[in-house]
Amino acid sequence: MSKQNNKQNNKNSPAEDVTRRDFLRKAGTYSAASLTGAAMLLAPKPARATKNVTWAEHFQKNYRLMTDEEKKEAIDRLVKRYSEEFGKKVSVDDAPAMDGVLFGYALNIQKCIGCRRCVKACVAENNQSRGDKQQIEWIRVMRLEKGKFSEGDRDDGGYPQDFGIQVGGNAYKPAGVVLEGQHYYEADKVPEKDAFYLPMQCMQCEKPPCVKVCPVRTTYRDPDGIVVIDYNWCIGCRMCIGACPYWARRFNWGEPDLPAADMNPDTHYLGNRPRMKGVVEKCTFCIQRTRKGRWTGCVEVCPVGARKLGNLLDPESDVRKILATKKVFRLRADLNTYPKFFYFMD
Amino acid sequence: MKRFFQFVFDFLRAGFSGGVIFWGWMLLLAFFIMLWGYGEYVQLTNGMIVTGLNDQVSWGFYLANFVFMVGVAAAAVTVVFPAYVYKHKELHKIVVLGEMLAIAAVIMCLLFVTAHMGRPDRLWHIFPVIGIFNWPHAMLTWDVLVLTGYLALNIIGGFYYLYKKYTGKPVNKLFYLSIVYIAIVWALSIHTVTAFLINTMPARPMWFHSMMPIKFITTAFAAGPSLIIIVFLLVRKFTPMQIADEAFHLLSQIVVWCLGIALFLTLSEIVTELYPSTEHSLGLQYLMFGHHGLDALVPFFWTAMALMIGSFILLLIPRVRKNLLLLPFICLAVFVGIYIEKGMALMIPGVIPTPIGEFAEYFPTHIEFMIVGGVWAIGFFVLTVLIKGAVGVLLGDVRYKEQASHTVQGEQANAVAT
Amino acid sequence: MISYRILAPVMSLCMLTAASTTTVFGETDEESKECFESRKDLTQVQQREIEPGVTNIKCSPTTGGVLFWSDPFDGTIPMGDMPVEADYSHEEAVVKPREPQIDRNKLLTICSMACHNGEYVPWPENKLARPLTMHQDIVPDAMQLKHGKQAIWCLDCHHAATRTKLIDNYGNEISFNQPQILCGKCHGQVYRSWRDGIHGKRIGMWNKGGKKRWWVCTECHNPHDVQQGERNSGFAQLDPEPAPILPKGMINANHERGHGEDH
Repeated sequence: MSKQNNKQNNKNSPAEDVTRRDFLRKAGTYSAASLTGAAMLLAPKPARATKNVTWAEHFQKNYRLMTDEEKKEAIDRLVKRYSEEFGKKVSVDDAPAMDGVLFGYALNIQKCIGCRRCVKACVAENNQSRGDKQQIEWIRVMRLEKGKFSEGDRDDGGYPQDFGIQVGGNAYKPAGVVLEGQHYYEADKVPEKDAFYLPMQCMQCEKPPCVKVCPVRTTYRDPDGIVVIDYNWCIGCRMCIGACPYWARRFNWGEPDLPAADMNPDTHYLGNRPRMKGVVEKCTFCIQRTRKGRWTGCVEVCPVGARKLGNLLDPESDVRKILATKKVFRLRADLNTYPKFFYFMD
Repeated sequence: MKRFFQFVFDFLRAGFSGGVIFWGWMLLLAFFIMLWGYGEYVQLTNGMIVTGLNDQVSWGFYLANFVFMVGVAAAAVTVVFPAYVYKHKELHKIVVLGEMLAIAAVIMCLLFVTAHMGRPDRLWHIFPVIGIFNWPHAMLTWDVLVLTGYLALNIIGGFYYLYKKYTGKPVNKLFYLSIVYIAIVWALSIHTVTAFLINTMPARPMWFHSMMPIKFITTAFAAGPSLIIIVFLLVRKFTPMQIADEAFHLLSQIVVWCLGIALFLTLSEIVTELYPSTEHSLGLQYLMFGHHGLDALVPFFWTAMALMIGSFILLLIPRVRKNLLLLPFICLAVFVGIYIEKGMALMIPGVIPTPIGEFAEYFPTHIEFMIVGGVWAIGFFVLTVLIKGAVGVLLGDVRYKEQASHTVQGEQANAVAT
Repeated sequence: MISYRILAPVMSLCMLTAASTTTVFGETDEESKECFESRKDLTQVQQREIEPGVTNIKCSPTTGGVLFWSDPFDGTIPMGDMPVEADYSHEEAVVKPREPQIDRNKLLTICSMACHNGEYVPWPENKLARPLTMHQDIVPDAMQLKHGKQAIWCLDCHHAATRTKLIDNYGNEISFNQPQILCGKCHGQVYRSWRDGIHGKRIGMWNKGGKKRWWVCTECHNPHDVQQGERNSGFAQLDPEPAPILPKGMINANHERGHGEDH
């Protein structure tokens, strides 16, 4: 609809026509398909998000090495492209890390009811790909089952009885809590009686293994402790996905499926701006919000207030108070990644 | 300079000449290469969504083949090393063929990596100066260094020797031997670094053990020479090139001992992991026995084991090992066994379950099969051309002539003189 | 006793008014979408467009839970005289008024003006607990109060005469918009934790000095059933959002349901 309008506008107003031609001459419309030669002309309908990628965008520098002017140019390009593609006014923020801020996160594992609302809120906020073909969710909630205490759960026969004098063949199978989490639990109502829930997402490690293995330094830790990705520099080798012990990173296997109506127009260059196919993405503590002082989408949406985010350098922040007064733990602390994502209980 | 171009031309002409079998073989390869082109086209336009990969299993068939082929490339050293360090006369004659194999294998490695990349159009980001080369932090940059270095060493070493042979000039021993010795050490480095690439990630406990590099090298030195034996037997059959039985005996000995060590290391790994059966062994358990009905890899693992153990036992018998009619089939079994064990059976259970314990099975799609098959076809295509050219040079069929007419006159003069 | 008979017609009138208002407010506009924030049916928000293409909230299409606030301070009032003793006391703190949520049908207002205004229905002389004799249907959970393990009853929290108010230990009125003052009387530790921002929920600006909307106790907890049955989690059960889509190559997730059986 909006595209048709655009066309008509171009026909009607010479001024716009000129700018458009100018634009074409300067940059040359570029499609990912053209890279692979003339055969690509036969390509099925070009995917939307890469349709208008310009040569200038394709050959831009790594974001961290850009001068301020180059950053501005890159962002203007994106604003123009996104606004055209999604038919609304899109802003791309480039707010740098604030001084004296180190973001930390605390999650009350005792409170979490496993409703997965944070997962969906994150998708709504951060412009992930959705739909049946390619669904990307940055948060994964696991269900951990309690139980197996009854006489019927005794491990009669089988392996221990045949072999184990020590075991004696009467061990209770996963007594207490089972080891493995359930990722695809479906429940009528949560929280369920015999389960608790463990949400996981990017832990924004102080020593991120993903950053270390990136061959092109497209992912790095910013001074406020957020590990970010320059999507335009990522080569899609997925070393970071292999190295992350928290399974926090996701890959755009195909062109992301982001309906224009659902697109969140408040974006950040390093955060929730629409991604292209073939690049890695992950939680950025909603960098587009937090660098403007606002809480993340998941913190705000949690219906039980289990999620907290604050400045680790500020002793008065809620996260620091949690660290001071509660029992906290981090996942896989043995790996020395120093996550800034803490779990706590009352 | 003109002489050099003449060399390239003559070399390629020798590489592309042959009878019906040769052209049939090349046509078959060309067919698979076309499939590769189609597969790459589909993958580039649609993204990697056309593969069976997903966020749970993000490394798959391409990298499995990559890891295996790095081993094959490194295994050229099993020809070079005895030839130069132990002055093995028979191997010395054919050492260039080993180098040609290494060149073809490294080219395949690079193609597999490119197929694995989500944004091959941004490959330039990794080039130093114009891009960012995160060296020495990223293990992948080390792998890029050692692989391209190895490719360069083999091209320089192999073609320097062939060029000298072609022009009939003596080889500069200091230059040539230093290239050879560097390449020997370098060959070990490519596989060591490839092992480091995946075993430096505690997130993936199945790979996270220091046995990985040596296991890589032993399996490589079993699978590589197996392929070399097959290729050399084919060379002996289809070209006038003479390769002594002794060379095969030495190579098959290398195969059997390296295979033995590899099996021993596999056994050690299984015992170490399964005795305590911690959560870190879930990947291996999934590979060997499946997991609650997910057992796509189980038959492959046991097939690989059967092939490897069976051929090891057969190769232990000297009479079997020295039977050059039987040997290629055993070598094929070793090759296939290690291809499975070190390819898919290493790569896939390394990423299943995910670091947070999710099990998802992985089935390569037809696009992946097209691309992988096509890269293999490219490898064999390159190898065939290189070996035919090299054999031509080694036999003296392809050698530099000042000018065709001049040479003819010279020959006539010779004839007259005699 | 006598006065009760006189009051009968007044009361029936009161009930009538209540019934009629119920129907009036029961008709909801089909166009506008209503979503809930934390407690289903008791933290409702109406979805509306605030600028072209931008709505005040985004809702989950599956469960109707709010996923996103365009303006986190929409419809809030200053938190008021909450004794915030933390160093964050200088911050602008706002809450969403509870009264419109609790009294959606205006029953509370109407009834307390018409009948329970402290004149018609006499409040008990003492505070001895006794079962509710009337209005069991309009006071949910009143007959199965699961709070305080029988040690407290209605008038420990509700103002005996002014039914639109809660009450503190000195008999002072507490607004339904500030239940924390009441709850904090017993739950001091949780109250302090809430005041520090550890317990409970806040949205808005995380940074020091930034404006915050605080969730008050009754936005998450049901004061008449704090245990929430067997779960004993403090929260009423909710519909979960759908599970992620199964990864490629997987038909079902049965393998993770049978866990722990065959190890």
